[in-house]
Amino acid sequence: MAFDLNVNGTRHTIDADPQTPLLWVIREYVGLTGTKFGCGIGQCGACTLHVDGQPIRSCSVPAANAVSKRILTIEGLSTDGSHPIQVAWKEFDTPQCGYCQSGMIMSTLALLQKLPNPSNVDIDAAVTNACRCGTYHRVRQAIHLAADLMKGIRR
Amino acid sequence: MSEQGINRREFLSVVAAAQGAFVLGFWAPSRASAQKPPGAVWDEESAVPEINAWIVISPDDTVTVRITQTELGQGVWTSNAMMVCEELQCDWSKVRPQYASANRDAREKAPAWTLNVMGNGATDPKGGGEPGFGNRDRTGQQGIPDSLYRRMRTNAASSVKDGRYYLQLAGAEARERLLLAAAELWRVPVAELAAKDSIITHAPSGRTTTYGQIADRAARTPHPNPEKITIKPPDQWTLMGTERKNLDVPAKVTGETVYAIDVRVPGMKWAAVKSCPVYGGDVKRYDFEAIRALPGVRSAVRFPIPDPALTRGRIFSGGVAVIADTWHQARTALDRMPIEWEIPPANAAFNTANMSAALVAALDKPGRVRVDQGNVAAAFASAAKIVEAAYSTPYLPRARMEPGNATVLVTADRVDIWIGDQSPQETRFSAAKITGIREENVYLHLCHLGGGFGRNGNGPQAEQAIMIANAHRGTPIHLLWTREEDFIGTTYRAMGVARLKAALDADGWPVALDVRTAMQEGGFGPESSFDVASRYHVPNYRYSNHTTTFHVPVGTRRGIGQAAHEFYRESFMNELAHAAGRDPYRYRRELISRTSLPYKDDMIRALDMAAEMSGWGTPLPVGKARAIALEERGGEGNRMATISAMVHTVSVSREGKVRLERVDVAHETGFGLVNPLSVKKQIEGQIIWFYNDAMHQANTIQDGRIVENNFKAFPLSRIDEDPPEINIRFFKTGHWLLGMGHDRATSVQSAIGDAIFQITGKRFRDLPYSKHDLSWG
Repeated sequence: MAFDLNVNGTRHTIDADPQTPLLWVIREYVGLTGTKFGCGIGQCGACTLHVDGQPIRSCSVPAANAVSKRILTIEGLSTDGSHPIQVAWKEFDTPQCGYCQSGMIMSTLALLQKLPNPSNVDIDAAVTNACRCGTYHRVRQAIHLAADLMKGIRR
Repeated sequence: MSEQGINRREFLSVVAAAQGAFVLGFWAPSRASAQKPPGAVWDEESAVPEINAWIVISPDDTVTVRITQTELGQGVWTSNAMMVCEELQCDWSKVRPQYASANRDAREKAPAWTLNVMGNGATDPKGGGEPGFGNRDRTGQQGIPDSLYRRMRTNAASSVKDGRYYLQLAGAEARERLLLAAAELWRVPVAELAAKDSIITHAPSGRTTTYGQIADRAARTPHPNPEKITIKPPDQWTLMGTERKNLDVPAKVTGETVYAIDVRVPGMKWAAVKSCPVYGGDVKRYDFEAIRALPGVRSAVRFPIPDPALTRGRIFSGGVAVIADTWHQARTALDRMPIEWEIPPANAAFNTANMSAALVAALDKPGRVRVDQGNVAAAFASAAKIVEAAYSTPYLPRARMEPGNATVLVTADRVDIWIGDQSPQETRFSAAKITGIREENVYLHLCHLGGGFGRNGNGPQAEQAIMIANAHRGTPIHLLWTREEDFIGTTYRAMGVARLKAALDADGWPVALDVRTAMQEGGFGPESSFDVASRYHVPNYRYSNHTTTFHVPVGTRRGIGQAAHEFYRESFMNELAHAAGRDPYRYRRELISRTSLPYKDDMIRALDMAAEMSGWGTPLPVGKARAIALEERGGEGNRMATISAMVHTVSVSREGKVRLERVDVAHETGFGLVNPLSVKKQIEGQIIWFYNDAMHQANTIQDGRIVENNFKAFPLSRIDEDPPEINIRFFKTGHWLLGMGHDRATSVQSAIGDAIFQITGKRFRDLPYSKHDLSWG
């Protein structure tokens, strides 16, 4: 059964079971692989993307739930790494293996859209993605820098 | 047939049992390189002639550096390139790393000038620090082979230690040939030329050229005496030793990086697998007919227990794969397929309780006595005080974020493998053994790994994928484990127990120490941290290690046995200091100063610096405490070591909530760190890694199975547990480092335990601490 998805502003017609998790439709049918599979049970957050501006763990949501909504993946932030969050991430040389970082960045985007000036407590509550390499220390610094950059503040 | 690795007859019968095997038309392997997407980093043939096997310089001055280790977050993509470019003297902004070809490594021998260490270790006054160049085992499991790229595995925090000589030499050889080519072109003595930032200058005439302009000529200009080329000692480094942002980072913030899981090749089908959840077990029967009609399903195939000869003697499980058009189809069909297992009863009888009891019982058996100095029994007989403690640590997995996966295409005379792999030379060997196709025809297209945390962090993913693809020749098969399957496919750090017993004199100083540790046979690092010497001075010292046999495949995992053993040792030092009524920092300092360890001054310096950084001794509010520990690898030896000390400031709320508030790190540089920024990142990462181990993580066994097999039952620390303050300072020392990618911050474990004791009065000696009631007051 075919259905349409709006991913990063582009409409894709998908010929798949609509109950397929959104993650796998994005990865295997739309062909965008920046969103990662980590646990399959919505725990680790590697699969975080936005549906209508809300961060969701796409491994545990059927694609049907995202029909006629706006889906944003890491590939939709910028084509050249120029989004303020990406710039901040690079400034602190944040990623190690990098596998969880797409999800981490998407959670950060949701946080900063809601709270442009987040406290550390806000960050703790909103960015609950798991990172095995232990990049948290730089993630936190990068989030604060990204908040400034998004407000046009240069450090 | 025995040379085939796995029993050939058994394998054929398994393959014959494959139902509905299919071929989707012959897929020309030569297209592999044409399929390289922008974010992929595997090797490709260069458009211009290479200078040497490591270096290609394009006319536009772009320098491609072939990387021989695998980037898994530790920064080797950058540090490896820095070692080459230190000598090459090229423009760092034009450096583009790419993986070295494991296929060429099978076909070509290393240049003779890379084979021996030159310049007396460039330069260690003690003459130490040479890598194990003598052992040139073909498969690369041990030592450094003499195939083209020497050591391609990524393990033991040794990429810098082992690779430095030939990577610096590769850069130097290329630089010398670029200079020779320019000298030849201009008909001037080469000694009059200088190279810097990819520009060659002839000062007397003012002529200049660039590497890009001269590269083609340099590629045709051999060096007359490559064995005479020397590499720079650390005091001449200009690039190495500076903080460099990692070259793989930009593609990791856009989602562009192609990990193995992201590989797509034409005609590819997906495989989901289930292995017998009890190690050593196999498939008794399965019913493919029950799922044959499900959408996208193509076939099912059994695979045997991967030949232990290909998995370092470890016995994993046999299993069954379902192949479908998409992975989600394969996985959901597999979940619905009835499977019966053949489980060895002896293995199914294991559980954490009886395994733990067996380890404790092993402590009372003779064991292997590693050290027996002085007269331990006599010293205990006349002790003023005896302190005894038993500690334990659980099974721990690597649980890297990217679940195990590999894409394999087997055709009549060639194997292509797309994989993130810490041991490509071993995987190449496995592919040849399983398929019967020579290693020279095995092509690995290497990807960055989504985490490693132990050599071949993959377990038998490659072997499974090769067996499945070999049963579907002509069709690329992408095997992907579920997270639950990844917990079966990984190897574990062995569960461990220890009993430490000290005799103290009237002043509280130890006069005898008896250490017994136990882990299962095959566990990694069974002698670490206690062998040869006690580290802390004690005149009478006995150390033995003990083993028993369990069925869980154990292997390298970040920190190996040392992480457990440093927990035992440093926890016990805290207990002794408290028993003696002495300050744990000064107690350690005094006991190290009494030793004759070769690097004792560096150890004392680390302790002093960490204590000073932390404000050691200044008052803290109620509910907070500091604890210090020494971290060393090789500290007992006289060739190489890595030494650091950390002070951890920990709070415990009355409700029992632990917070690591602050970490002060004093870490040696040895002669020099290649990329101090990567070292800082590694230290930061290991702090939360061992925090996680200390507070939360444990795998238990029930009926022979790993119980916790996803991130709900096996919790991962998040950003809210990361310490708000981390201070790292380096100090220079006079030896080479052993590496620092896997055994730093082990002190978090003992420090949290001691802080809990200081704050709550409760002493816990079994990890993780979160299973205990930590409330107080």
